[in-house]
Amino acid sequence: MQEQLSAILAKAQAEFPGILTRPEYEAAKARYVGPHGELTAIMKQMGAVPKEQRPVFGKLVNETKVQLQALLDATLARLEQLELASKLGPAIDPTLPSPDVGPGTSHPLTLVREEMCRILHKVGFVIADGPEVETEYYCFDALNTPADHPARDTQDTFYLPETARFANVSKKNREERYLLRTHTSSVQIRTMLKGAPPIRIVSPGRVYRRDTTDATHSANFHQLECLYVDKNVTVSDLKALLDYIFASLLGKETKTRFRPHYFGYTEPSFEVDLSAKHLPKVNKEWIEIGGCGMVDPLVFDAVGYDSKVWSGYAFGMGLERLAMMLYGIDDIRHFYQNDARFLRQFA
Amino acid sequence: MKLSLNWLKDYVQLDASVDEIARAITFLGLEVETVLQTGAPKLDKVVVGEVLTRDKHPNADKLSVCTVDIGLAGGVKTIVCGAQNYKVGDRVPVALPGAVLPGNFVIKQSKIRGQSSDGMMCSAKEIGAAEDASGLMILAERPALGTPINDVLPPGDTVIDIEVTPNRPDCLSHLGVARELAAWFKKDLKYPEIKFVGAVDENAIGSHRPDLLAGVRVEAPDDCPLYSAHIVSGVKIGPSPEWIQRRLLAVGLRPVNNIVDVTNFVLLEYGQPLHAFDAKKLGGRQIVVRRANDGEKIVTLDGKERSLSSRMLVIADAEKPVVVAGVMGGENSGVDETTTDIVLEAALFRRQSVRWTSRTLGLSSDSSYRYERGVDPHSTIEAAWRAIDLIIATAGGCVVAPIFKAGGDKPWKREITVTPAYINERLGFRISEEEMRLSLESLELRVVREDPVSGGFAWTVSVPSWRDDLDRPIDLVEEVLRLYGTDRIPQAVVKSPGLIGEDDPIVTFNRKATAYLVGHDFQECVNLTLRPEKELAAWSSQAAAAELRLSNPFVEDQSNLRGSLIPGLLESLRLNHSRGVTASRFFETGRVFLDRNGQILECAAVAFVVAEVAEHLWKQREPIDFYAMKHHVEALAAAAGVDITRHVQGSSATPGLGWQAHHAGHAGEIGHGWLAQFGLIDLTLTKSAGVEGRVYGGQLVILPEKLGGEVVRRRFAPFSLYPAALRDIALVVDAGVPAEEVRKTLTKVARGAVGAAFGLEGVEVFDVYQGTGLPEGKKSLGFSLVFRSSERTLTDDEVNAVFQKIQDEVVKAGSYQVRK
Repeated sequence: MQEQLSAILAKAQAEFPGILTRPEYEAAKARYVGPHGELTAIMKQMGAVPKEQRPVFGKLVNETKVQLQALLDATLARLEQLELASKLGPAIDPTLPSPDVGPGTSHPLTLVREEMCRILHKVGFVIADGPEVETEYYCFDALNTPADHPARDTQDTFYLPETARFANVSKKNREERYLLRTHTSSVQIRTMLKGAPPIRIVSPGRVYRRDTTDATHSANFHQLECLYVDKNVTVSDLKALLDYIFASLLGKETKTRFRPHYFGYTEPSFEVDLSAKHLPKVNKEWIEIGGCGMVDPLVFDAVGYDSKVWSGYAFGMGLERLAMMLYGIDDIRHFYQNDARFLRQFA
Repeated sequence: MKLSLNWLKDYVQLDASVDEIARAITFLGLEVETVLQTGAPKLDKVVVGEVLTRDKHPNADKLSVCTVDIGLAGGVKTIVCGAQNYKVGDRVPVALPGAVLPGNFVIKQSKIRGQSSDGMMCSAKEIGAAEDASGLMILAERPALGTPINDVLPPGDTVIDIEVTPNRPDCLSHLGVARELAAWFKKDLKYPEIKFVGAVDENAIGSHRPDLLAGVRVEAPDDCPLYSAHIVSGVKIGPSPEWIQRRLLAVGLRPVNNIVDVTNFVLLEYGQPLHAFDAKKLGGRQIVVRRANDGEKIVTLDGKERSLSSRMLVIADAEKPVVVAGVMGGENSGVDETTTDIVLEAALFRRQSVRWTSRTLGLSSDSSYRYERGVDPHSTIEAAWRAIDLIIATAGGCVVAPIFKAGGDKPWKREITVTPAYINERLGFRISEEEMRLSLESLELRVVREDPVSGGFAWTVSVPSWRDDLDRPIDLVEEVLRLYGTDRIPQAVVKSPGLIGEDDPIVTFNRKATAYLVGHDFQECVNLTLRPEKELAAWSSQAAAAELRLSNPFVEDQSNLRGSLIPGLLESLRLNHSRGVTASRFFETGRVFLDRNGQILECAAVAFVVAEVAEHLWKQREPIDFYAMKHHVEALAAAAGVDITRHVQGSSATPGLGWQAHHAGHAGEIGHGWLAQFGLIDLTLTKSAGVEGRVYGGQLVILPEKLGGEVVRRRFAPFSLYPAALRDIALVVDAGVPAEEVRKTLTKVARGAVGAAFGLEGVEVFDVYQGTGLPEGKKSLGFSLVFRSSERTLTDDEVNAVFQKIQDEVVKAGSYQVRK
């Protein structure tokens, strides 16, 4: 008996390593421990074993069964490993490049705009937007631009034919013409007319000038303007904002300075210079970066705000100019050609 | 405008350096464009010397060793010289050791090729007197030996080119800028002393000369509020004196003759344009200020014939126009060398009138430039008198009667009341009252009255006639701040109260779209909004192209507003491919303009393209297809709050212009607020855009007002935890029937069959088949149906019963067959 059991185990030990598939495994399992298996057959002889020998016999059979089961389990585990291994292809070469196109990139103008908006968001400015096709009222009249101002000339501003009708750009006066906005200040007018002070907005957007295209001029470009209307807004507040913006953008050592200037919609008005000594490739002590001033009372009159109660400031700058300075781009046309070698440099 | 620093110094004592003066001009608000030195600077130890001997240098062929006499004080010097253009006896500038020449070139006692040299003989360029560097500057006038060279040379000057803002026409003159500098440096302004007093002793013999000018008539006083004419008789035309010529040359004007030079001089001094006529050339001895007749002609001083219109103002004699008023004189009436009697015009013309005429004729002058911006109405006569002084001084003659003056009778008075407290409130920092007052007064803004008001006092400030730009208290804030110095505004902390409102929904949408597309490996492009008309016609329609055309395009290939972002993206693909740069996935966000029945809509849009490019990759990827485009557009639409899936049109035969029929889809309609198109871009248009291969893409156009609706807070929808029962069904349908139509029918039938017994969770396509085993013109659509109950596990029997019912009824609902 014992010899029989030992023989079964020895056979199984010899046989199992050769099993490579689940059917082979199932068949082997049946051969040993199935209803007609060899071990099962021996166990069936239990009845014929004398009573007093049964415990010894039972113990022997059990030990064999446990050992056999362990062999089966090991075989099954080995098979499962083989199956998992078969799901893998050949080893990869991690140095081969991904054949997928990419990565996606944001345009540098978007990056600069978003950075400015983030900086302004921190001090309470939300983004306002408005139509690019505007009317003379929103672009000029409400901003205190006289009827014969050169900026309004057909030589400098794009107009639409007098017959043009826009379904979703409202006119203030019936006879005014549609035009392509020359600055985003029109958004300020629309925002002020729509709401009530206090107002704190930043309006980035596309603007148009009828101009020759060259390294620094483009038929359309982008501006970013801030407007703040509240009680007791002062020149000092305006200066503080500009200092904050450019210190955030270019580092704490960056200074701004104001030079008196003239804009029809602000009084007093200033041009803003940026200290540039620490900027790469700028061989100047100061560079002009934008214009600003205190909202002219006439503008408040135009939108129906009481200029005795409300005061405010406005600041505007060109985004291309800023991006060119930040990235050291020397030609504005790069922004509109979309050469992938340009686009992928900034994202 | 060019300013001569020497000229400015006629009116204000300026001790500051050129840098300080340029800085002052900048911070007064007049932008400095350039600062240019002309002529020799102040030179020490450069004197007149005479070459006594000239011998060849023993060790150098091209050099000479000279002895040079520099007068009694200096004696005779030995100087080595390389120039060739002089001879013994010539007098030349000699720079002695210690002299510093332009360019910081220090002259030293030196040895040149073994020969000691006590200084240097100089060319005109070396001492900064002129550009000539070809040889020594020979002083032909033979000034005395040892004379400092600056005494011999015309004085140098500094020319500052400034940009004057449109609100400050008073600074288009030397006197105006001198006034600003006087205020800045706290100096007095010296006005020119005027001798002529505006009257003629009519009793003197020959002093009444109506034969020279009999009458002046102003027919258009609206356009000419003031006209004055003075007759100066007996002038002798010749070159103007050197000091006037030098002033004019310094600021870039060519001297002509004494009369013309004086009118130009006073123009640049006072900012008041003047015009001088030859009295004999005025037909009928008359001056008429009138509107031109339509088509009337005049040949202006620049030799060009100009055709005038009735909106233009002219100065005419009895017969013909002689001046385009305020713009330019005619050839027919100007002063020439034979002139003996002149009529001097000093007038005011309406800004808008001069501007319109100048623009219309395409003719601008120093005169029109100033009239357009505004001339001080109260210095016109003073400027005329100043010119008369200078004419008499430089050309002789005398003023004779009659003197004509029409209009200009309105006295000037303007006062602004302001409190120092108001100024400080607007500034946000404190400037002392004394400093404010000093600043205002230095600009001739006199405080004429001081009244007590609560908490202080109010000033009544009188505004001079040349400061028409000042009429409100806020304007005085600027004046005070200008003189305080805008670079001295103290540092402050930015006020940052909480946010008011939300970012505009368009911005929010663009951000989401950009993040999505960048995340899907697209590169963001920025293209111009203005596109050629023929492109619009091809991509939108001829009618849209006409509607979206600008009235004044600058160049023809930028004549129209874009109707789609796709052509720009194709252009970007083309550019990259033509430059040999691999690029296949581009997108843009921006405005597009759609024409709907003659009405234009400005819309927000996002579009993307994916080009098939022949890429040499070591591993091939799935080719691009329509459904990937659809997926992107669905995602973009979802970012805009729009679910396009239910709205995709059943037919792909006409996806819209720009898209390939049968290979592109569209959803929505701009009349409802949004429109989506996606799939294969029209092959013909792609090809004509210069792009090789197929390009897929998508575009979502949405009305700005459709974005950012109120956010509806979602409620949680509970779901069943019991298992689902699945059944598949294949329907054979006509090949042309859209799958969505079949799905809808099947869903309806299935819902009917299920009834209230349990739930139908979904009906989705899982297979589309066409080919062997199916009749010609048919396709098979496989759908999987998901049933589930929220209360129990479904039994096979109940599901089978329902499924059988669906199979039976779906064939009745449409012309479908169930594929077994």
